[in-house]
Amino acid sequence: MNLAVELTGVGVDRGRQRVVQDVDLTVTNGAWFGLIGANGSGKTSLLRALAGRLPFAGGSCRIGGEELADDRAARAHRFGFSPPADKLPDALHGRDVLELVGGSMDDVRLRLGKLHETLGVAPLLDRWIGDCSAGMRQRIAIAAAFAGGHPLVILDEPFNWLDPVAIFDLREVLRAMVDDGLTLITALHDLGTLASACDTGLMLADGKVALALGENAMRIAAQDPQAFEQQTIDRLRSGSTGQ
Amino acid sequence: MGLSAGIGAGRLVGARLAFQAFDGLLAADALHPPTRKRYMAAWLGIGLGQLVVLVLIARPSLLVASVPAYLIGALVTGLTGGVRLPKRIAGTARLGWTLRAWLRSPIAGMLAAIVLILLLLPARTLGMNALMAVIGVGTLLSALALTPVDDAIVRFMTIAGLGSRRILLHHAKSMMAFLVIAVPGCWVWSGPVAGCVVFATGTAIVLLMTLRILAYRLHGNRFADVLVSIFAGLLMLVAYAMPVALPVIAPVMLWQLHRRGQAKTWLLA
Repeated sequence: MNLAVELTGVGVDRGRQRVVQDVDLTVTNGAWFGLIGANGSGKTSLLRALAGRLPFAGGSCRIGGEELADDRAARAHRFGFSPPADKLPDALHGRDVLELVGGSMDDVRLRLGKLHETLGVAPLLDRWIGDCSAGMRQRIAIAAAFAGGHPLVILDEPFNWLDPVAIFDLREVLRAMVDDGLTLITALHDLGTLASACDTGLMLADGKVALALGENAMRIAAQDPQAFEQQTIDRLRSGSTGQ
Repeated sequence: MGLSAGIGAGRLVGARLAFQAFDGLLAADALHPPTRKRYMAAWLGIGLGQLVVLVLIARPSLLVASVPAYLIGALVTGLTGGVRLPKRIAGTARLGWTLRAWLRSPIAGMLAAIVLILLLLPARTLGMNALMAVIGVGTLLSALALTPVDDAIVRFMTIAGLGSRRILLHHAKSMMAFLVIAVPGCWVWSGPVAGCVVFATGTAIVLLMTLRILAYRLHGNRFADVLVSIFAGLLMLVAYAMPVALPVIAPVMLWQLHRRGQAKTWLLA
């Protein structure tokens, strides 16, 4: 199997507290991996650590076959990562944000491809971030993840604050990009998207793996999303761990 | 002191009320005139009490002047403030962002340098000391205006993976343009001492800007500002008492901050 990411027994600390522990996961190249879990279950911490935005407290992290658990900067260079929309500075234009992350705007536009239109980036380029709504900030943050042209991208709850049309269009374009070879890892709260768009996934509960969703499980989920949703909600409610 | 304490207290209370009126959970209370008055009276009373204690400890004879001054300060702020719109709603924030973004551009630095050189024309009739004072003050004001640092931008650039050098270059473009024109310009028009005054003053402000940027990479803006104040004071003390040590101490200080900042690059705690 051609693995893009392989985590074994990783842990992540926030302050003095271990918020992610003993997590194993694998993501194959050219697949969409969905991470779900309740609020505070450790999704964001795990994704930030994977993207080099937080250190791992232990375990093994192989990216493209290379062990990078102890090299935060190398991990950060490997992934396109959307900054939290609320961390974008008010006193920058959308253009400034994308240029700081991805270089010249011409290059960024090229790398975004169809996303440029889907996210409606053009009208946001000359708008102050401080004048943007939450949804507009989210569009810029998502575009920033793709501005560097990385083949591996991590998005933390990308559909938050977007309107229904934007959610639909973005999901379609992301799926098309994954089919063209992009490896995408997303934290999600929308079980419908997980069932219909993701190839594999994982459910976290209290920082531990509660359920690993392989290709077969996702195929079944796509066939009967309602049953999948019911089962997943039951598991999230119980918060119990176990494979 | 009483007047400024009154104005300060009035502003703090006004800002708190404005926040609650527009963004807070207590909007209804903050917009209700009797509740507003009680809130203001309570907090201004606490401020007054603290002032009275301080004055009684320091010099009780000043109580007669400082209490009325405090009340006048608070009253003036209350009359002129009212329910102040947050900057973003009033639109003044946008003006500030535009101005600061422009001040970071090389064209702003070039214009400031040209204005400084043009100032030398009428100032040449002054004596040498007055001329140097004009050049020093002109450079200081220009340099302070040309080096605005936004802590949120510095932090965003840090989490976007940009190192200290890139962040410094981003912020120093206008100052570099200023120095490239102003130093030789003042040298040619008013002699080498004038050129040196511009260079030394400009470099000191660039040093201050560098300190701020490196501190914002590490800490929240309040703590960073305190840290920068301490470091700047320390550097001034060294420059005054032991100037030969300055070229050693300043780089060591910057290097330490830079090294600690490197560990924060990309970090999103």
